Amino acid sequence: MPVSTSNPGADHVSRRTTRNLPPGPTPWRSWLLQGLFGLLLLALIGLLLSNLQVNLLRTGQGLGFGWLVQPAGFELSEHWLPYLPGDSYAWALLVGFVNSLRVVGLGLVASTLVGVVAGSASFSTNLLLRQLAFGYVAMVRNVPLLLQLLFWYFVVFLGLSSTPQVWLGGLLSLSNQGVEVLGQRWSVEFGALLAGLTLFTGAYIAEVVRGGITSVPRGQWEAARSLGLGDNVKALRLVVLPQALPAILPGLASQYINLAKNSTLAIAVGYADIYAVSDTTITQTGRAIEGFLVLLLSFLLLDLLISGLMQLLNRMVLRRR
Amino acid sequence: MVRLLKRLAAVSLVSLLGACAGGAPESMSRLDTVKERGELQCGVSGKLPGFSFLRTDGSYDGIDVDICRAVAAVVLGDSSAVDYRQLSAPERFTALRSGEIDLLSRNTTATLSRDSEGGNGLTFAPVVFYDGQGLMVRADSGIATMEDLEGRTVCVGSGTTTERNLSDAFLAAGVNYNALKFQEKDQVASAYLQGRCESITSDRSGLASMRSGFDDPSAHRILNAVLSKEPLAPATVAGDPRWSDAVRWTIYGLIAAEEFGITSANIQAMVNAAAADPNQAAMRRFLGVDGGLGTKLGLPDDFVVRAVSAVGNYGEIYDRHLGPGSDVPIPRDLNSGYRDGGLHYAPPFN
Amino acid sequence: MKLSITALRRQLFASPLDGLITLLLLACSGWLLALLGHWVLALANWKVVASNLPLYLMGLYPAAAYWRPLVLMACLVLLAVLTLLSPRLPRLAVFRWLQRLLPWLWLLALPLGFWLLSGGLGLDPVRTRQWGGLTLTLVVTAGSALLALPLGVLLALGRRSPYPLVHHSSSFYVELIRAVPLISVLFFGQLLIPLFLPSGWTIDRVLRAVLSFAFFAAAYVAEDVRGGLQALPPTQREAAHALGLSVVQTVGLVLLPQALRIALPALTNQLVGLVQNTSLLAILGAVELLGISRSILANPQFIGRYLEVYVWLGVLYWLICTTMTLIARQLEARLGAGAGSPSSG
Repeated sequence: MPVSTSNPGADHVSRRTTRNLPPGPTPWRSWLLQGLFGLLLLALIGLLLSNLQVNLLRTGQGLGFGWLVQPAGFELSEHWLPYLPGDSYAWALLVGFVNSLRVVGLGLVASTLVGVVAGSASFSTNLLLRQLAFGYVAMVRNVPLLLQLLFWYFVVFLGLSSTPQVWLGGLLSLSNQGVEVLGQRWSVEFGALLAGLTLFTGAYIAEVVRGGITSVPRGQWEAARSLGLGDNVKALRLVVLPQALPAILPGLASQYINLAKNSTLAIAVGYADIYAVSDTTITQTGRAIEGFLVLLLSFLLLDLLISGLMQLLNRMVLRRR
Repeated sequence: MVRLLKRLAAVSLVSLLGACAGGAPESMSRLDTVKERGELQCGVSGKLPGFSFLRTDGSYDGIDVDICRAVAAVVLGDSSAVDYRQLSAPERFTALRSGEIDLLSRNTTATLSRDSEGGNGLTFAPVVFYDGQGLMVRADSGIATMEDLEGRTVCVGSGTTTERNLSDAFLAAGVNYNALKFQEKDQVASAYLQGRCESITSDRSGLASMRSGFDDPSAHRILNAVLSKEPLAPATVAGDPRWSDAVRWTIYGLIAAEEFGITSANIQAMVNAAAADPNQAAMRRFLGVDGGLGTKLGLPDDFVVRAVSAVGNYGEIYDRHLGPGSDVPIPRDLNSGYRDGGLHYAPPFN
Repeated sequence: MKLSITALRRQLFASPLDGLITLLLLACSGWLLALLGHWVLALANWKVVASNLPLYLMGLYPAAAYWRPLVLMACLVLLAVLTLLSPRLPRLAVFRWLQRLLPWLWLLALPLGFWLLSGGLGLDPVRTRQWGGLTLTLVVTAGSALLALPLGVLLALGRRSPYPLVHHSSSFYVELIRAVPLISVLFFGQLLIPLFLPSGWTIDRVLRAVLSFAFFAAAYVAEDVRGGLQALPPTQREAAHALGLSVVQTVGLVLLPQALRIALPALTNQLVGLVQNTSLLAILGAVELLGISRSILANPQFIGRYLEVYVWLGVLYWLICTTMTLIARQLEARLGAGAGSPSSG
């Protein structure tokens, strides 16, 4: 997350130098201009809000959040938290939020794995592996995620046979009724969303990782080899990647946030995430503005969670060095 | 930077003043808005054969579409002056309330909470299709009743009454099931065809329409169980009686035209006959020869003539899209006129 | 790029493990390719694509005026090919002229395209509601990119402004937009904006889509431009100041051109992202490329043919995005070559 200046009262001169913009006008003009700007901003917001009020009054609805405690009355196909149609809208939204958290959480881990492997593979001595890694990134990054998700769901996952096919000695079982990984049972909607998000974000993370590895001087590879870490994979894992980490982490953080935001496309494949639940809620209650605000708030919360997590990670990396 | 800001300030000030001055009077009806615009903005599904869908040549077709065309013919004198707006079920009411569309003609079930101010704040026009919610299963699945669906998965469109009816009906019957929701009907159909769910629920007409598109329609059966009443009606936003009356009487006009035996083929002859014969009092009022009925609604007096010339009477519309020779044949049953044992009945044009 | 047998062997079979990996990958990709080839040639039914081609390309555009979007698309393809070929063309005076003209031709394509699509000045007017398919995708992309760039630059300058109010409000806007998913911004733009307008006021639906994308993308553009500004050494500003340039001149002539050049690769990525993101309009019922395809899939004639449609769309999007990336790389190379004194920006 970009840092904004936290101290508005700091003296102008030093801030101007750090921001390398030319010096501004004299103080009184500065205040006058700012006052004008602020007034305009306020007037615009006021105008919009008064329009909103007029429009809402005309259709007989004010603003309010009383509907949150009314029973939702709709079914949710999957939920981590206990949920019945008789529960309140507020609870249904919370269930949707937790569903979002679940796909984002697993997506973070999986896409990082894919990204690191694909990013490292582009440094392989094996020509084919290298080209495949490039091909994967070039293909996935140039096709819309929504289209990829539709493909994963309607073509791949629903195209599976209805009798479970067991892979890897029972670790993975696939059918179009559900996916079982390591004993965990997922719906195919969840599986398709996770697969689509993981491969899409993985391609972007691969670029971030590649950039990070490129930033490590060539000499480090050679040093690792001379230390006896002859195997390329070993050199990468023990010497190069740890050094690339500080360059990788900021890029990783923004990709994680993108993943969280992209998870709202769940609505296209029938997974009950926070966007899908608030969409249904808005339709049933007619509370578009309020539902929209709830959605915004939950995303701000999700972003806070992820950036908090990344800061923690950053601190851990710095401490280890 | 200073000059940039100044310019910004000037631009915002001008736009602000413009915004203040441009506010239209509160009492303006949608009817006037539509006339002024010269175009009717009509929300349709666009993905439901028989009701509204996109033909290969890029035109929309179906019962819902013909309602839009009839209203445009009445209000604007041109049945093609319609801006069709495809809407998914969850967005349709927001689009109506925000003024994005003038008329919602998207196989929408009329219910209390949608009609009321405390709910979605709509006003429903007369029902154009009487439907009921049904369940479709594969013919070879051995499922014959709702109870057979215990523990199975049912696919359903989200943001619809269907979703709620399903929940209510299964709860009342004490049957446990999983609901899998999609935004669009074609997605529901795909998921069902691929075996993701054992059953699919929707309005029975919708199921028939969907089934007609399957490779082997006879491999799927619509169960006898009817979960709910589904009166499908166009809707306008509440609190605008002039506009909703115009839509209401246009639709009644289509229904009454069938009762009078007036079709798009004979309407001109009927008008001429009525104009020549002062004894046909009811017919003269209905066709706008005298009585000034249209004027009372803010419409031209010959509004019924315009509507029927453009799209035909209700029976013609039905036969064109859902009749035996159409892509989606559905028996008329409840949708016949009241004389034939159906529910369509237009109040008198007096 | 000629690979001898020995070099190839070194690249692919350096060690037994390497060899094993190579063979495994070869087998896997060969199998997938064979599967795909078999499907494309034998199993797929391309009628759903072929008989709806005008719909994919032009949506509900009146059939009598099909030539207009077609001419526009042909122009764009021609321009793209010329631009990509231009460094390889023989060094003749004609071609050198062409090279110099190309940027202006691209700029000219915008008003020309708008005129062709919307009509007027001798052409029958066509309302935006009739725009659709690929045409609409391109219009929304071009329109919002053009708006997002100046907006983003303003926001970036705002974030670095010495006025706390301007600085904080721009920061707030950028951070807020970057925190929320695009679909919610589009939801707001398509369905909620009318609630904030005085009654009787409307904004064209296509314009609303363009505005939503522009306001969304502007926040990301602002961050890229800010990154470019931050990368400039403070000496640039001091030098400009010493030359007696005014604030606006310093920003407009010295700092921005350099910052934009630094930010160019990031901005290219934003543009490619923008093309892909227009597909989200399909969720909100617009009939752009993906939206119209979903309508076509609902036609009983073509039900269940989604794999063909998705593959066709995937190829189309891929071609567009890849072409754009290549053109941008070329632009970067050309600007990078001229790096030194910023020309009149």
